[in-house]
Amino acid sequence: MGKLESRNIEKYFIHDGKPLKTLDGIDLNVEDGEFVCIVGPSGCGKTTFLRIAAGLEKPDEGQILLDNQPLNNTGPDRIMVFQEGALFPWLNVQDNVEYGLKIAGIPKEKRNQISHRYLDMMQLTQFATSYTYQLSTGMKQRVAIARALVMEPDVLLMDEPFAALDAQTRDLLLVEMQLIWQKTKKTIIFVTHNVAEAVMLGTRVLVFTHRPGRIKKEFKIDYKRPRISEDENLLPYQQKILAELRPEVKK
Amino acid sequence: MKPSLLAKKIGFYAMIIIVWQGLDSADIWPDNIFPSPVDVVEDLAYGVADASLFYGIGTSILRLIIGLTIAIAGGLVLGIFMARVETVNQTIGSLVLGLQSIPSIAWVPLAILWFGLTDTGIIFVVVIGAIFAVTINTYTGVKNINPSYIEAARNMGAKEGQLITSILIPAAFPFIISGFKQGWAFAWRGVIGAELLFSFLGLGFLLNVGRQLNDVSQVIAIMLVIMGIGILVDGVVFKKIEDKVMTRWGLR
Ligand SMILES: Nc1ncnc2c1ncn2[C@@H]1O[C@H](COP(=O)(O)OP(=O)(O)OP(=O)(O)O)[C@@H](O)[C@H]1O
Ligand SMILES: [Mg+2]
Repeated sequence: MGKLESRNIEKYFIHDGKPLKTLDGIDLNVEDGEFVCIVGPSGCGKTTFLRIAAGLEKPDEGQILLDNQPLNNTGPDRIMVFQEGALFPWLNVQDNVEYGLKIAGIPKEKRNQISHRYLDMMQLTQFATSYTYQLSTGMKQRVAIARALVMEPDVLLMDEPFAALDAQTRDLLLVEMQLIWQKTKKTIIFVTHNVAEAVMLGTRVLVFTHRPGRIKKEFKIDYKRPRISEDENLLPYQQKILAELRPEVKK
Repeated sequence: MKPSLLAKKIGFYAMIIIVWQGLDSADIWPDNIFPSPVDVVEDLAYGVADASLFYGIGTSILRLIIGLTIAIAGGLVLGIFMARVETVNQTIGSLVLGLQSIPSIAWVPLAILWFGLTDTGIIFVVVIGAIFAVTINTYTGVKNINPSYIEAARNMGAKEGQLITSILIPAAFPFIISGFKQGWAFAWRGVIGAELLFSFLGLGFLLNVGRQLNDVSQVIAIMLVIMGIGILVDGVVFKKIEDKVMTRWGLR
């Protein structure tokens, strides 16, 4: 029993007219308030798994349970941060961040109050009235994160949200993310290519196999927080995870 | 507009007028067939003085606005339905494509039979002339929306109704605006054409009067007015909107 449970999720996609197995029985139990990181080679089905967990894609086998309720639709209880951001170009930064609040019927003043807090956290206050074409890739990604955080969902599903960031911003957000998580006790599933990132953030790190994706191994990271990227004590964790990951990437 | 561009345009039109005046002075054709620019300007001045010109413009534009508004509203609804419901697309969609190929003028006989020589008849022609362009462009626009926008919105809790107003229409807007632009062009042709055949007030009617009076300069004057309004709407109204949309949506 957990916050979010994945039971034997299987997924096939049609490639060249033939079904191609993409996910091969993902069994996962994420406890309330856990920070689970997923690493795996490109194309192993990480995004697909998050999309299924978000209810944006139907699994061919198995089911997702949220608080023990089987799910088959998407909704604001599990907010997804898309790999490519998916910001709305017709809205400025602030309106993008407030989108979900507006949809939920939250009054303007309240919305502004909430969005300002997160814009500030993402260091975007200065760009509140900018449009997406005026932002760098990293800034867009931060808007996407802010847009997800304002929803204060039970579960956050993040698909490589830091991939496009410069090292300094990333380090900053890696710490910020831990503080947010500690403060809000959200349940987070976080996909990344970057093992160091996974070790810094995760209470648990899952290594996916090469396609079809399965959970190859999982590592508990019991270490004090906030973890910083310079901390050498994190290196052994990274090495152990890399040892599992490397053969999968080479396949 | 850059000064050099403005100068080029002024120079070009000045040249047309000079050539025109030259042709007139050469007396190749009689004046009642080929009027001079001065005749045409005089005619415009008459129209301004007795306000008949403004009345004609006002009548035509009012019909245009009413017809175009209905066409835009109807075209948006129809286009979104076609894009979101496959059955609607397979049935009504094919009909729309067929109807689109009928010139709006061809609806005039039907409009007269149904509505008589009334404003409603003319507006009917305008609506039917413009609605399918709006429909088809809206449909294309909605079909071309980045699916992540829709997924993100649904993920954040948007229901189908909210999705339409907060995502589908704005995301498809670059296409929708070209639908409006095409719709406006069809509507303007529709108004003038229908007024000609209905012969019931408006600029088209004034064209007809000019013909009946054998007044070539009035005919040309009214044509210039029709063209002028076209240039104004295309070059000022739509250009402004398009520029803004293109930049904002990151399309340039
Ligand atoms: N809609 C789709 N139709 C067909 N195949 C798909 C579809 N979506 C994903 N796939 C396939 O499923 C596999 C997994 O894709 P997915 O995007 O989940 O990988 P990923 O682990 O997120 O990779 P990356 O790290 O590169 O983002 C890929 O082989 C991809 O080609
Ligand atoms: Mg991915």
